[in-house]
Amino acid sequence: MLCGLVVTHGGIGKELVRVVELVLGPVPGLAAMTNSGKSVQDLIDEIRAWTAANCGAPGDGLLLFIDDFGGSCANAAQIAAIGGTPARVLTGINLAMLLDFVTWRDTLGLDELPRRLVEKGRDAITALGPVQEG
Amino acid sequence: MPLLLARIDDRFIHGQVTVGWCRKLEPDHIVLCNDEIAADPWQRRVYASSVPPRIRVWVRDRADTAALLGDGPEALPAGEGAVLLTGGPADMLDLARRGVPLPAVNVGGMHIGGGKRELLESVYVDRTDVASLRALLAAGSRLTAQTVPGTRAVEIDRALLDALEETR
Repeated sequence: MLCGLVVTHGGIGKELVRVVELVLGPVPGLAAMTNSGKSVQDLIDEIRAWTAANCGAPGDGLLLFIDDFGGSCANAAQIAAIGGTPARVLTGINLAMLLDFVTWRDTLGLDELPRRLVEKGRDAITALGPVQEG
Repeated sequence: MPLLLARIDDRFIHGQVTVGWCRKLEPDHIVLCNDEIAADPWQRRVYASSVPPRIRVWVRDRADTAALLGDGPEALPAGEGAVLLTGGPADMLDLARRGVPLPAVNVGGMHIGGGKRELLESVYVDRTDVASLRALLAAGSRLTAQTVPGTRAVEIDRALLDALEETR
């Protein structure tokens, strides 16, 4: 089963995980981390330490969810993802993506699941307009 | 090659730099100076991929950074602007000693870590950092702590560093 770590600015990740657990109940192997007050190196070390402690079983992999591409969270996650537990990094985290992750993480592998989540995440972004009639 | 901003920031390239400073200064280049990152192709790629496409990124060790920012044959083109980033004051001091003119240094982020003490909000230092900051002041750099344009800039001068060391 794949682990998930949400690494974001401020408390975004913590709240996303909290809301996912409100909906689906406690989710082992899913946690959130903030970059607040941390250097990139601190964040890399923290990601690696969490992964070693929570994501250790053979065959497991890790998905790192990031709020925004091109920031310290994304930079740290990409560097932390090298070596050790096999990992993938996904940016643009939203609630739909994270719910789908929890639903599918014991069915799909480290290569299929990211593709599905990117699709689901994008599908959830839409402009709601007036209903077309006729 | 005008140096638009020389900044100490242990996150290097991130939102405060790409969104905050680069929108205001519109540099042609970002020069990330760090020996370890420069020696690691993957880390180089990660940082290079995280800036707006219009800006060219150079990830270089200290010697090559000094050459890029100098006036020799390897220097960046005259008339183009650059933002320089180092992860700490020691590397910035090293560049000053290699002849990079640094009249002003922006202290962006030095985060809390082992044995570091709070000098200002978002600026944590150990003894080596303080010694480097003092040496930069002695070399004629004006040091200002400011995360992004438009926020309050705080002067880091001898008195501030003295006050921290007196409370040790």
